[in-house]
Amino acid sequence: MSEPKLPSSRAHWASDAPIISVRDLVVRYGAKTVLDGVNLDIFSGETMVIMGGSGSGKSTLLRRIMGIDRPTSGHVFIKNVDITCATEEEVNDIRRIMGISFQSAALFNSMTLADNVALPLREHTNLAESTIRLMTRMKLSQVGLGDAENLYPAQLSGGMRKRASVARAIAMDPEILLFDEPSAGLDPIIAAEIDSLILKLKSAFKMTIVVVTHELASAFLIADRMCMLRHGKILAVGTTEEIRQSTHPRIRQFLDRVPDQAAGGQDDYLQTLIKIQDSS
Amino acid sequence: MSLFASVGRGTIQRAEYIGGLTIQFYRGVAAAWRANPLTGSRLRWASTIQNMAVVGVNALPVVCLIAACTGLIMALQGGAELRQLGAVQLVINLVAVSMTRELGPLITAIVVVGRSGSAFSAEIGTMVVTEEVDALRSMALDPIEFLLVPKYIAMLLMLPCLTIAANTAGILAGGIYIYFTLDMGFALYIRAMLEALLLRDIVSGLIKSIAFGTIIVHVGCYEGFHVTGGPVGVGRSTTAAVVKSIFLIILADLLFTAFFYFFWQ
Repeated sequence: MSEPKLPSSRAHWASDAPIISVRDLVVRYGAKTVLDGVNLDIFSGETMVIMGGSGSGKSTLLRRIMGIDRPTSGHVFIKNVDITCATEEEVNDIRRIMGISFQSAALFNSMTLADNVALPLREHTNLAESTIRLMTRMKLSQVGLGDAENLYPAQLSGGMRKRASVARAIAMDPEILLFDEPSAGLDPIIAAEIDSLILKLKSAFKMTIVVVTHELASAFLIADRMCMLRHGKILAVGTTEEIRQSTHPRIRQFLDRVPDQAAGGQDDYLQTLIKIQDSS
Repeated sequence: MSLFASVGRGTIQRAEYIGGLTIQFYRGVAAAWRANPLTGSRLRWASTIQNMAVVGVNALPVVCLIAACTGLIMALQGGAELRQLGAVQLVINLVAVSMTRELGPLITAIVVVGRSGSAFSAEIGTMVVTEEVDALRSMALDPIEFLLVPKYIAMLLMLPCLTIAANTAGILAGGIYIYFTLDMGFALYIRAMLEALLLRDIVSGLIKSIAFGTIIVHVGCYEGFHVTGGPVGVGRSTTAAVVKSIFLIILADLLFTAFFYFFWQ
C-alpha cells in the first residue's frame, strides 16, 4: 500500500482544499485489478500529470475522475461531491464544470467542427444562436482552428482533431480540464503545439488541469506536480523537481528509459529459442 | 458438470440481456416522455425528422415492392388451392385479411430491421468504439435521450405508416391476380375487399407494428451501446441486432396473434 506523501511544495496560486480528491479507489475487471487503492489530491489551479506505462491504469483513473464509469470501490470527490455514489443528475451537474479531451479526440463525426464545439452550449445554455456562433469561433481560434469551423472531423489531421477536441472541452469554460494522452500518436512538432496549448490555457484561465501521459518531455514541461502510477498503485506524488530527483528504482527506470529486462546478447537469444523449442 | 455450467451460464446471459433491454426500454420511454413536444419540448426535431426520412421515406419503395410480391404470391398460392373448390373469389378475403393482420406488419418490420436496425447498431457501435458516447456523457448529455429517443419516435411514427403502405401494395397486387382469373373489374375487387375487411384487422396489424418498431429500435441500440472489441465488435453487434430483432419480432407476433385470437374476436 503506497500512501502518497502530502505535497511539500505546491504551485503558489493553488488553494488549500483539494478540488479533486481520490480516496482508496479500486477498479477490477473480473479477476484483473486495474486500480488498487489509489489516493490522490489535486488542488485548484494546478496542473497534475499522471504518468505511468501502458496498462498502469492511468486512463482508467481519468475515466473514474470524469465519472464515466463507476469504480469497484472507493470514492472520488469533486468539489466535495462524491461522484461515485451520486445520482446521474448530480454527476451531470459536476460534469458541466469539467471538460475532457479524449485520447481518440472523440469528435462527433456526423457534425462539423463548429457544431461539435457548439453542442454543449446549445444543450446546456439558453444563449442566442448568434452568441453561440461567436463563442464557437472564439474557442476554435483559441486552439488555432479559426478557419476550419465548417470542416468535418474526417477531413482533419490527427493534431487538428486533437486541438478541436480541446476546443470542445473548453466550450463551457470548465474549471477542471482533463486530457487523456494529449500527444499520443502525434509527431513531435504537433505534440509540442499541444503542450504549448495546455500551457496557454493554464496561464490564461487558471484552470485545474489533469493530464494523463507517458511522454516524459511533455510531462515535465507542463506539470506543476506529477504522480507515477504502476500496476494500479501510486508510487509517488510530488513536484516535478521531487520526481526528477526521486531515487525510487521504478521511477528511475521510467525516467531513465531502462527496459524491464536488460537486452541480452546473442547467447540469451539462443537460450530463449532453445527454451521455446523444448516446450513445444 | 460442464453441461450444467454452460446451461447456467447461458441462462444468466439471457436473463442479463433481457434485464438490460428492459432497463433501456424504461429509460427510453421516460426520456421520450420528457422529450415530448407538449410538456418538455426537448425533442431533437432535426435529428428526429432526419431519422424519419431514413427509416420511413427511403424504405417506402422496397417495402412496397416486397409487399406487392408477397400479395401476389399469396393470391397465386391461395388461388391454386381454392380453384379446386370453385371458390376463387375467396382469394380476395385471403389476401386482404392475411396482409392487414399478419404479413403487412411482419414484412415491413423485417425489411426495416435489415435497413435500419442494423444501421442503428452500427452507428451507435461505432460511436462507442470512437469514444463518442463517452464524450456525450462527459458533456452531461444522456446518450439514451440524445441517440435513442429521436430514432424511437421516428420509428413509432413511420413503421405504422410503412405498414399501411405495405398493406395497400399487397392488396393491390392481389387484385392483379383476381383481374386475370375472375375477370373482375378493379372497382368491384376493391368493394369485395372492403367487405371482407374489418377495421379490427387493420388496427390489430398497426398495434403489432408499434410493438415491432419498439423491438427494432431497442435491440438495435442495445447491441450498439454494448459493443466491445473495436471494429470487429461493431460487425458482430450488427449481426446480433438483426438476428435477435427478427427472433423477438416473430415471438411478439405470435403473442399478439394469440392474444387477438382469444380476446378480440
